[in-house]
Amino acid sequence: MSQEPIKLGKRESKLRVDPKWADVCLTCGTCAGGCPVTGVDGMDPRKAVRMAALGLDDELINSRFPWVCTLCGRCERACPMGVEILAMMRTARGLRERDKVPGPIHKGTMMSMERGNNLGIPYDDWLFLLADMSKEMEDEGFPGFYVPVDKVGARVISTVNSKEPFGEPDDMKFWWKIYYAAHESWTVSSENWEGVTWGLFGGDDESMKEQARRVLENARKVKAEVLLLPE
Amino acid sequence: MNIFELMMEYIKEGRVKIDREKFAGKLATVHDPCNYGRKSEKAFGKAYYDEIRWITDQICDTWVDTYPTRENNFCCGAGGGAWAMPYTNERLYYGRKKAEQIEQTGAEIVVAPCHNCRDQIMKALTKEYDLEIETFYLWELLAEAIIVEPWSEEEVEKAHAEAEAQWEHFGVELDDDWEPPE
Ligand code: SF4
Ligand code: SF4
Repeated sequence: MSQEPIKLGKRESKLRVDPKWADVCLTCGTCAGGCPVTGVDGMDPRKAVRMAALGLDDELINSRFPWVCTLCGRCERACPMGVEILAMMRTARGLRERDKVPGPIHKGTMMSMERGNNLGIPYDDWLFLLADMSKEMEDEGFPGFYVPVDKVGARVISTVNSKEPFGEPDDMKFWWKIYYAAHESWTVSSENWEGVTWGLFGGDDESMKEQARRVLENARKVKAEVLLLPE
Repeated sequence: MNIFELMMEYIKEGRVKIDREKFAGKLATVHDPCNYGRKSEKAFGKAYYDEIRWITDQICDTWVDTYPTRENNFCCGAGGGAWAMPYTNERLYYGRKKAEQIEQTGAEIVVAPCHNCRDQIMKALTKEYDLEIETFYLWELLAEAIIVEPWSEEEVEKAHAEAEAQWEHFGVELDDDWEPPE
């Protein structure tokens, strides 16, 4: 902590979900007591709420805490005063300059906007992988199995977590086996099949909406009744 | 509909049959992902705690809850995108709570219904905290326990025709020498 005097911000704060917070929060510390990362960087949710109440927006936005916090919501659930700590943390993430968002989250979000999945798996590779793995499944005791792509009239349309085709393709087979056994009519999309919304983590609402729109559009195209996000 | 409801539908309607021998004699415990618990409750007014337990109960003989559990359960430590962030030490430190909880149950199997949680528990916490556990996705647990009956010849033939037409449509070519298994 620096020894510079801290300048309090204006009375408005972009982080304060409700202007009454300064009065509402009892500073009881219930939130901090149940948070597994209380103490990291000398921070805790109660302090974060105080910072927002005092208008110390920039200090909180530029601190690591909103990112070390997993947005688990335990603090908020326990708060006797209903302070919306989660919304505040996520807003703080969203107000971070985009090029200072830690790790690949922002890059992944942009990748998803550009190429339809967070990890940039190309269209041809995706289809080849599915065709190849369909064959594997048949060899493994699921005769007749294949991955239906863009199948109009399928009851279930499933999105995919891009980490699976990228690094753990065999993990996709768990759901495939269930679909096979259940004789389900299902499908995946050839494009924009990503099921994980990194915009959610980065505080990027616009990208989040765009991704949801694409997934819904895919579902409408094939007239699916059930949209499954196997998260 | 979400993954729980779909799995429950399959089980209740008898569309999948479960081999309860598969995990017999192994004590299981379940992890409540924040997204299906607290966050879902806040966003949609409905948390999914019972569903996870009901499905686990269909597959496993014995399972126990962690303490605390359900709405007060601890996050695995990888929520909010933490798995993709550079704060590894913080993430592992966070996970000590989850590791303690799991250890206290004495369970051999941990059921994690979320990608992040499963990765954190399986690939990080197990090693860091010397846990003697196997971690499964909830749908993995089901997939492993399902009794698979091969499709009828008719169905298989129909599927092969569809598959062939589909891959041709997308211009995907597999090795020429490959024949669908009999
Ligand atoms: S639990 Fe609620 S009232 Fe208590 S310190 Fe935390 S935010 Fe304030
Ligand atoms: S949401 Fe963040 S601050 Fe609140 S308990 Fe979870 S990790 Fe701690």
